[in-house]
Amino acid sequence: MSGTAINVLYFAQVAELTGTRIESWPLDKPVSGADWLAQLEARYPQLAPAQRLKLAVNQFHVKPSAVINPGDEVAVFEPVTGG
Amino acid sequence: MVIVQTDDFDAAKLTAQLRQQTAGQAGALVTFTGYVRDYAEGHGTQTLFLEHYPGMCEREIGDICQQATERWNVPEPVVVHRVGELHNSEQIVYVGVASAHRGDAFRACEFIIDALKTRAPFWKRETLASGERFWVQQRESDAEKTAQWQSEGPAS
Repeated sequence: MSGTAINVLYFAQVAELTGTRIESWPLDKPVSGADWLAQLEARYPQLAPAQRLKLAVNQFHVKPSAVINPGDEVAVFEPVTGG
Repeated sequence: MVIVQTDDFDAAKLTAQLRQQTAGQAGALVTFTGYVRDYAEGHGTQTLFLEHYPGMCEREIGDICQQATERWNVPEPVVVHRVGELHNSEQIVYVGVASAHRGDAFRACEFIIDALKTRAPFWKRETLASGERFWVQQRESDAEKTAQWQSEGPAS
């Protein structure tokens, strides 16, 4: 996939709240992580109880100021709790 | 070496392998093993379910190990982390670090497990003996420890 969409992955509680683990999300021009998260929260109001939402783009942690481009893999999750 | 697996691991065997690989160079070997424990007093943990982000998880832990080798004299850190359903008192994670000197080995081992807790994409879901189920939240103290490692600057 490239050009007109991003591949979105949801993990852990975020996946439970959205009811899905993976979906294609139309995107035809770059958007900031913060702006995209606002779109996500508008689409999934049930995410409200989630703790701070974090993003990874192409499997790297990013800040909300990072740019998401069409074709990217974007992961959404709460702060990690391994170890 | 970084391994993420559902199967249990043999910590003694991992340590013996690391010892063999670094024989003659290493004057110290420090290991950390993490286990499933009770969530809190009076709230026995029945099971722990660990979810992860395949690919990113292995790469992120690999980056953490690489940072440790650049900062301290620790040639081949070993990290094994389990995922899936784990029961109380089972092993979760192993970190093994060998070095010429104990200071580097202690510091690198602690750095790796601290960084793993705040950077490696794993999520824990607890199920208590009562049946109550919830996703574990990141502890502020873990985030603070990782921040401390960043502010401490280059290795002494």
